[in-house]
Amino acid sequence: MISLYRPGDSALHRLPAGPKLLIVMALALALSLAPADPWLLAPAVAGVAGAYLLAGLGPRDLGQEAWRLRWIVLVLAVGQIFFLPWQTVAANAGRVVVVILLANLVTLTTRTERLVDAIERALTPLRRLGVNPGRVALMLSMTITTIPVIAGYATQIREAQRARGVPLAPLAFVVPLLIMTLKHADDLADALTARGVD
Amino acid sequence: MRTIELSAVTVEFPARVALHDVSVHLDQRRIAVIGANGSGKSTFARTLNGLVTPTAGQVRVHGLDPVRQAKQLRRRVGFVFSNPDTQIIMPTVAEDAAFSLRGRGLSRAEIRERVGAALARVGLVEYADAPAHTLSGGEKQLLALTAVLIGEPSLVVADEPTAYLDAANSRRIARFLLDEMPQQLVLATHDLRLAARCDIALRFEDGRLIDLGDPASVIAKYEVDQA
Repeated sequence: MISLYRPGDSALHRLPAGPKLLIVMALALALSLAPADPWLLAPAVAGVAGAYLLAGLGPRDLGQEAWRLRWIVLVLAVGQIFFLPWQTVAANAGRVVVVILLANLVTLTTRTERLVDAIERALTPLRRLGVNPGRVALMLSMTITTIPVIAGYATQIREAQRARGVPLAPLAFVVPLLIMTLKHADDLADALTARGVD
Repeated sequence: MRTIELSAVTVEFPARVALHDVSVHLDQRRIAVIGANGSGKSTFARTLNGLVTPTAGQVRVHGLDPVRQAKQLRRRVGFVFSNPDTQIIMPTVAEDAAFSLRGRGLSRAEIRERVGAALARVGLVEYADAPAHTLSGGEKQLLALTAVLIGEPSLVVADEPTAYLDAANSRRIARFLLDEMPQQLVLATHDLRLAARCDIALRFEDGRLIDLGDPASVIAKYEVDQA
């Protein structure tokens, strides 16, 4: 969900974020409740492929997105292969892949601000319970923004360690990362204040 | 009215006094603030939009008190930090620029139009949908400036805005701040060439305002003392 949006003008791009999220949730639920039969998943796979094409994304994009899930598939399959028939394992892994690909399609065709707006609207009823939807939405946006920054810090620390010939040591990696992250949080708080957020 | 006024302002932190009894009245367009590390120039800059609260004394910026009227003041005073990475709040370039317009009662179309115009002004319009973290350092600082200027402030406070930039990007940001931007500017900087292009310079040392006046003479004395 880290700014995967690809600009476009397809029907999926034009569909508002709220209905899109609801459709994906309904499809995910239906796929989870369907019997664990790999052949039943075939229409779902075809549907996802069709949706990617409809969004103006080619088979290559679909392949790239699916390839990114290889470790998830591996972990899922290894955990089940000793206890369940292979058809069930394939169906379970296939379901997860299809649902993640669908969720990816939402982020590929929806601007982050629209997604966050939709989540903010969906949380509005929780205002009565003391939840501030605006703050939750801001927190989500900032999380998305901050992940690559922290990943950048991790790279900087690894490079600094390599440059000094230090072998990979978890503590020597985690402590500076934590300090840099806390400093970043402090600076970000100042930036929010300076930009008028209470 | 573009007056910045400090009367006997002191800022104390637990371990040190960052500003000591500073009184000054400023109405020039470009105001440089110079001094060594830890001299108090960043604290002075931060006091102007309420990021730092004075322990004693009075601050008035364009007629407003940065502590009591913080909300109104932050719409009039934009702040540019030295590290462009720490001031980007939203994931994409356009979203980050638009963030400064939230809560102003503007329609989505108006926001889009203003964001497009602001990004075009600094040459970032082609990156509108790009993730902000993929921009170069100079482009990120331009985005930070855009995010400040889109709110139409009357004063821009910049705390070492070129510290993280290469020579070409420093020139680009400096040209924008010093020559193209119509707003009043308070520029805290180590770059004495930038300070020399301002209308007045303030020099801080150990939290005290020790010199004030024509940038050329303030800088000349500073360079002699540093030698």
